[in-house]
Amino acid sequence: MSDPLNQVFSALADASRRHVLGYLADHGTASATELTGELPMTRQAVAKHLTLLSEAGLIASERSGRETRYRLTTQGAEWDERLDALRRHLKRRGGG
Amino acid sequence: MIRREIVLPATRTEVWDALTDPERLADWFANEVELELRPGGAASFRWGNGEERRATVTEVEDGERLAFTWDDDGSVEFTLAEDDDGTRLTVVETSPAWTTALDLQASALARV
Repeated sequence: MSDPLNQVFSALADASRRHVLGYLADHGTASATELTGELPMTRQAVAKHLTLLSEAGLIASERSGRETRYRLTTQGAEWDERLDALRRHLKRRGGG
Repeated sequence: MIRREIVLPATRTEVWDALTDPERLADWFANEVELELRPGGAASFRWGNGEERRATVTEVEDGERLAFTWDDDGSVEFTLAEDDDGTRLTVVETSPAWTTALDLQASALARV
């Protein structure tokens, strides 16, 4: 494995991948299909860029129904904590 | 823009109560909460570390949608929808300050 900082810099070195990051910064989350439709790239290229960005730790994916959505890891960490707390709150109230 | 979508194993009424009842909000969102549940209503959130934020309610659609704007900056929207596994909750937080920062960052990166 190359070192993490190298991975971040090589991930950022590509203009297409910066477009993907820019889109996610503006829209919060996006699926691979959405990115393919919005950016001048093939689906295969989008998939490859998403893998590299994930490996560099710049984006994370989550399942939402049938699709996988991607988001920046640098944004919204406080909401992940709050929503975890909400989930635990509902569990306590539901007695489950 | 920050966007989070989660499916909670609870009814829509139950999730709505957790989002709008100050006593319940004090169990997961902040430590002390005041909330006037009507458009134009005032809200305040206090946390254990002494932080306090005030907000103004902008939208209330019973069981479906709650939105408020932070008095310092930005806005938060909660949207609830039925889901096979319970209730789908979508949170969107936007802030003019972030947009500017991200635009600047994006244009700086575009020149690299």
